[in-house]
Amino acid sequence: MDDLKLLRDLGAELEHEPPATLARQRHRLFTGRRRRRPGWWAAGLVAVATSVAVAVPVVLVGDRHDPDRTIVAEPVDVSGTRNVLVVGSDTREGEGNAQYGPGQARAGVGARSDTIMIVHLPADRRTATAVSVPRDSMVRIPRCGSSPPRVDMINSAYDNGGVACLRTTLEKLTGLRLDHTVEVDFTGFKDMVDALGGVTVTLPRPVDDRASKLRLPAGRSHLDGEQALGYVRLRHYGDGSDIARIKRQQTVVVAMVRQVKSALGEPVKLEELLKEVRESVRTDLSMESMYQLATELSGARLDVASVPWMPHPEDKNRIAWKQPDADKLFATLR
Amino acid sequence: MITQPAVRGADSELVSASWTDPEAFAELFDRYSAMLYRYVSKRLGPEQAEDLVGETFLIAFARRRSYDLAYADARPWLFGILTKLVSRHHRKEAARYRALLRAPVDSAVESPADRVAAGVTARAVRAELAGALAALPAKDRDVLLLIAWGDLTYEEVAQALGIPVGTVRSRLNRGRRKVRAALGDTNPMEEE
Repeated sequence: MDDLKLLRDLGAELEHEPPATLARQRHRLFTGRRRRRPGWWAAGLVAVATSVAVAVPVVLVGDRHDPDRTIVAEPVDVSGTRNVLVVGSDTREGEGNAQYGPGQARAGVGARSDTIMIVHLPADRRTATAVSVPRDSMVRIPRCGSSPPRVDMINSAYDNGGVACLRTTLEKLTGLRLDHTVEVDFTGFKDMVDALGGVTVTLPRPVDDRASKLRLPAGRSHLDGEQALGYVRLRHYGDGSDIARIKRQQTVVVAMVRQVKSALGEPVKLEELLKEVRESVRTDLSMESMYQLATELSGARLDVASVPWMPHPEDKNRIAWKQPDADKLFATLR
Repeated sequence: MITQPAVRGADSELVSASWTDPEAFAELFDRYSAMLYRYVSKRLGPEQAEDLVGETFLIAFARRRSYDLAYADARPWLFGILTKLVSRHHRKEAARYRALLRAPVDSAVESPADRVAAGVTARAVRAELAGALAALPAKDRDVLLLIAWGDLTYEEVAQALGIPVGTVRSRLNRGRRKVRAALGDTNPMEEE
């Protein structure tokens, strides 16, 4: 047996068969990497992008309509204030013809689960507030593109008219100026975890999930992007509830924030991370502004909130904003 | 009557077709993505492989107009792009090999028959092989592994890396010499 043969055998041992997901990469060829679609839970990561400080509440708030979390109005400095619109969905792909809008392109792709939130960064940067907007809120959507004005669920503004339409809609509804937008998808999440060098989590019980091919022992584990993604998306684990899943997402995001905080002291590392983040999300924020925000917010306190809501009077499966509470909340963010 | 789209032959035809019909490029992906995936999974593990394969095709697609149609086979071109991408992960690659130095031989996952087929010798010297790979200079490792793991010929490696065939030979020889030295140069069936 010669050395090349030995090497080939070693190669055979190390080799992995391509997974079915490899086909996703084929798709990238024609959609382009910069046109990925946004994952609601991944919205937490967006926050890593916009600011370290906001990351945790964003996921905490994500997808829950919890009236008790409504923010207590407090005075906010106006100068230098920024409001960032954060959008996420768990749709993998399917951005198509802009003319028809992402909604049609994604039709049939599967359930979309948008997270919409407004991250408020006051001028003094001592606090940050993430206000989640329930996606099934019935609201008045102004004319955008070819869509006529109408009353509909707020996420339809995004699905039909993209982030621009959602921004206009929310600006009209809240009276806030939304200075920036950030969109993220779960590929972005994976990339960000990898950029952070993985995350360490402690598991109460081992994971052996066929669907995601994820196997982890109980106790502390260091997860790479793919594993972290598998972990937060597990469905048949623990009591299998959505709340349990949200908790796992929080765990991962908290671990990520810990990593980011350690990067804050090292400008080179932070810059590298933000570069990766910039690749993974779609945003109009420049690298420099993200860098600036991240450093400014390193000591910020976090508030989380939901737009005050109540069941819609005509359809209990929909949500209506509770007034004047909602307006009062937005007033504090101006 | 032709109802099927014409079956395209050589890779170069696909590339030139993609100049006017970008979708034609997808056929190249279907032909080679699995092969590239296996190759990179050996060097960097499955975590990175999928993304690097995707990246390789994205870059190839962007550069499809500069493809030299004189080469019918696109594999060297694709391997060349992939090699550059892999080189960004050299530290990770070396760490992967070094991990093999420590890892116990995992025989539980394979039947005895598999082990016999793969050759017990390869397993027995795994640590030495891995150590040698980890220690090789990147350029020598690229050549050695394109031949051993990528199944390219000397000419194809030369084309992939944009170097003369003579350089391929010298790098290969140097790489193999180091591997043999790590193995203690005791192998009676050694060639050359």
